[in-house]
Amino acid sequence: MLAHTLLFYFFSTVAVFSSLMVILSRNTVYSVFFLILVFVSISILFIMIGAEFLGMVMLIVYVGAVAVLFLFVVMMLNVAEKKNQKIVNKGLINNISVGSIVGLIIFFELLVVIGGWKYKGDFVSLSSISINDELTNTHALGNVLYTDYIHLFQIAGMILLVAMIGAITLTFKKRENIKKQNYFDQIGRDKESAVSLVEVESGKGVKIDD
Amino acid sequence: MQTIIYILPELFLSLSIMTLLIVGVFVKNSFKIINSLTILCLIFAVALVLNQPQETTKIFNNSYLIDKFSMFMKILILVFTLFILTISRDYVKKNDIDKMEYPIIIISSTLGMLLMVSSYDLIVFYLGLELQSLCLYILASFKREDEKSTEAGLKYFVLSALASGLLLYGCSLIYGFTGSTNFEVISNNLDSSNKASIFGIVFIIVGLAFKISAVPFHMWTPDVYEGSPTSVTSFFALIPKIAALAVFIRFMYVPFINVIDQWQTIIIFLSIASMILGAVAAIGQNNIKRLMAYSSIGHMGYALAGLATGSNSGVQGTIIYLTIYLVMNLGAFGCIFMMKRENIYYENINDLSGLSKNHPMLALSFLIILFSLAGIPPLAGFFAKFYIFMAVIENKMYTLAIIGLVTTVISAFYYLRIIKIIYFDKPKKPFEETYDWGLKGPLILSSILTLMYFIYPSSLIDIISSILIY
Repeated sequence: MLAHTLLFYFFSTVAVFSSLMVILSRNTVYSVFFLILVFVSISILFIMIGAEFLGMVMLIVYVGAVAVLFLFVVMMLNVAEKKNQKIVNKGLINNISVGSIVGLIIFFELLVVIGGWKYKGDFVSLSSISINDELTNTHALGNVLYTDYIHLFQIAGMILLVAMIGAITLTFKKRENIKKQNYFDQIGRDKESAVSLVEVESGKGVKIDD
Repeated sequence: MQTIIYILPELFLSLSIMTLLIVGVFVKNSFKIINSLTILCLIFAVALVLNQPQETTKIFNNSYLIDKFSMFMKILILVFTLFILTISRDYVKKNDIDKMEYPIIIISSTLGMLLMVSSYDLIVFYLGLELQSLCLYILASFKREDEKSTEAGLKYFVLSALASGLLLYGCSLIYGFTGSTNFEVISNNLDSSNKASIFGIVFIIVGLAFKISAVPFHMWTPDVYEGSPTSVTSFFALIPKIAALAVFIRFMYVPFINVIDQWQTIIIFLSIASMILGAVAAIGQNNIKRLMAYSSIGHMGYALAGLATGSNSGVQGTIIYLTIYLVMNLGAFGCIFMMKRENIYYENINDLSGLSKNHPMLALSFLIILFSLAGIPPLAGFFAKFYIFMAVIENKMYTLAIIGLVTTVISAFYYLRIIKIIYFDKPKKPFEETYDWGLKGPLILSSILTLMYFIYPSSLIDIISSILIY
């Protein structure tokens, strides 16, 4: 239990620290790296409370796709160059005031939610639901996803396929006049097709037709 | 394994989408072969739907419903997608959008619509809707070098995403207040005393009204219809309307039937507003695609009028109206695809002037289709409106009927204006003759069906009256 607590504090400290670094870091590329660190720590926290599916999905979706997309955007836009600008400028005061107002509102909303929890309606208590402890989340999801909801799963697959076809048709441009490698042609060349003997007259060059 | 037979068409379509993709990658310049294979797949899918067991069945934990209504709608969707692919084949080739993905995206959206039509659960419905609208965004901006097409795609994407958001919000409210996403459970748990769930119903109606472009959620329609390539416009005008209207009917008559007095007034308002706007706004249009957009808004208004009655005869009227609307619009777009000189397609109404001198047969079929769209007896369009108004009057909704009749007369003006331009204006340079039976065939079929419908009207009524919604 102690190890669990220690690990929890370790990963949450990392998460809080790196989330601060996301906004404090002057180099945007570093910000994105810290963002990835936040996601990884959070997903580990998820795994620690037994929500291993959520943790893994978080890793795949946020780290694997979203953060990499951010990284690409940052590199494409070349925002990293601005790192030399001083962080204290005119906009900062405005930003801090607006940011802190938003932060305060979120804080109060959280208070309301947590306070309102006391007056919550009659939910089904957890003990009355039969939960099989042996089953992991992934297993339980798979059990319904591939049986009761198999048709929905397959239709969702078709939607993704169509999205892919659409993206390719709307953006793919076939470029003409490009020399491509053709291994069979290249390996299949022999002496007759590649070398020819030309008699050169004196004082004249050789015309090589390509 | 027992349920496989019930989802065979959907399964077949999804597998063929994947196979066609692979074929398209490995065969060079594969538009032609993929297009033909897609048409073949659609024919097979129609056969599979026809071959399904006739009795009503629910599968996947009651979340997917196969009944006569959904089967009828599926057949409509598949058959008309097939016709759209054949009539627009030449246009697609001439306008440099003949990429192999084009037919594949079209059948993907067809797959989404099949799922929507059969859905008996909010989640299945939403996934189907997303699948089809994602394909439609891509299709609208398919001519990506063209500024108008990109604009159309972006506009449709932004607005439709907003509508989807509203719809999802409605779904979550309904789920929160009834405790289930299943239509049957929702129907049992919903009562009009719960005001908050009415909000959910309103949001869902807003989302659906956007999809069938009913006023006041129609703003995107003219721009998107005008901007996207004509082949895509013809798809937009026909196929998503079937799916959205089918889902509209399903929503109103299965989960929300107990709160009919809550939604009835909303639908009546949507219907009246669409009829009026469709009739008035189309008058000043010069672009024929814009005109078709306003005309489709008006027609959706009439279809909603049948839905608003809340009676079985009204719904049957709506389904008949939808079927006839599809046949007429197929013909109208067939005529638009004929407006071609030297590989350039024309879209202005004035380009049609004096068509009757140069192309008497084309002018005649255009005449038949336009008269039918205007609702002039004895053509099919008249009967479509007739059934709707019969049902409306049966339910003593006289205001709706009177406004409907007045707007019919107003909208006849702009259809007649085109006929006047075709028959009485000075002839221009003739259009090119086409020898493409993929275009000619559906056009002739559509004209004949519209013209000859009055001889044996019970052929359609018999099929539709066997469909029971609830």
